Amino acid sequence: MGLREVAATDLAKIVENIDTGFGWDITLTNPAGTSIPLKGVSDDISQAIDPDTGVMVSGRFASVGLVMQTIYDAGFVLPVGISDSSQRPWLVAFSDINGFPYTFKVSESNPDRMLGLITCLLEAYE
Amino acid sequence: MTVIQTLIDKQDSFEIVRDQIAGILAAEVTNQMALATAAAKDSDDWKLRIFLERSNPWEEFLNTPVVDKSPIVNVWFDNSNFDKSASNITERQMCSAVYNIDCIGYGVSSEDGAGHTPGDKTAAFEAQRAVRLVRNILMASTNNYLQLRGLVWRRWPESVTVFQTPIDSRTVQNIMGARIALSVQFNEFSPQYTGQELELASIDIKRESDGLVLLETDYEYPL
Repeated sequence: MGLREVAATDLAKIVENIDTGFGWDITLTNPAGTSIPLKGVSDDISQAIDPDTGVMVSGRFASVGLVMQTIYDAGFVLPVGISDSSQRPWLVAFSDINGFPYTFKVSESNPDRMLGLITCLLEAYE
Repeated sequence: MTVIQTLIDKQDSFEIVRDQIAGILAAEVTNQMALATAAAKDSDDWKLRIFLERSNPWEEFLNTPVVDKSPIVNVWFDNSNFDKSASNITERQMCSAVYNIDCIGYGVSSEDGAGHTPGDKTAAFEAQRAVRLVRNILMASTNNYLQLRGLVWRRWPESVTVFQTPIDSRTVQNIMGARIALSVQFNEFSPQYTGQELELASIDIKRESDGLVLLETDYEYPL
C-alpha cells in the first residue's frame, strides 16, 4: 500500500470514528429525497477569521467533511450545490453538540480527490 | 474667555434631517402596509423595519431561528460639506450632507414543490424591495423638501450600491445589503451675538407748506 493510500485510510478512520475521532452522525439526502446515514466531521460556528484581513468576522459558517468512498459505497454520487430552483438541493442534517437538529442545503462542495474527502459548505434550509 | 452667552440647547439641522428621514420612512411604511391591507394584499410585502444610526441592526438575522425576516433599513449620517458661495460667515451656512440608507434583506432556501426557493435570490429581492420602497417614499413629490420647507433646499439619491457577499465566504444565512446614498442640502445656523438694547428714540420729519422742515422726537426724559 502506497503512502497516499495509507494517508487516505487514516483520514477515513479519523473522520468517521465516533469513539476516538472527530466522527459525528450526519444524514445526507439527495435531490430525489433518498437519505443515507453517514459519519463525518461537521462544524457550525458563528465567528471566523477572515484569511485576507485576519480580523474576526461575524456570521454563521457550517460545513461537513465526508469520506467520498463511503458515499460511493452507499450508491450515491458526490453531493453538489444546485442553483437551479426547479430542482431540489442536496441536504445535510446533523445535530449540534447539545443535540439540537439542523438541516442545511449544500451550497458548495469541494471534493479532495487526492485523499478522498469532500467538504460541503452549507446554508440554512427550511 | 467665553463669548457665547446662551446655552447651545438645540439640534443642528443635520440631526433634524437625519431624524426626519427615518421618521418619514417609518410613518410611510406603516401607511403603505395599511393601504396594502385595504387593497386586500399581503401587507408584509410592504413591511420594512426602520433603524437609526445603528452599527449592526441586522445582527438578529444571525440568530437561529430568525423570528422576523422582513428587511431592515438603517439610516445613518455619513458626511457633510459646506458651500462658501451660498453661505455667510456670521449666521447661516449651506450644508450638503450625505445620509446612507442601508437596506438589508434576508433569505433562507426552502422547499418549493418539486424544486426549491434559493435563499440568495430571496435575500437579494428583499433588499431590492426595500430599496424600491425607500426611494419611492423619499423621492415622492410630497417629500420634495422632506417636509422641512425653509430648512431643506433639496434632496437627491446620489447612488444605490449593492454589497454582494464574497463568493468565498459562504455563510449559513443569506443576507444581502444595498445602500442608498441620499444627499440633502440644508441650512445650518449658529449662535448669534445678542446686542445691547439701546435707548429708544423716534423722530418724525415734517415739512411745512413754506418748505420749513420740522423734526419731532419722542424719548424718555430724564435719561
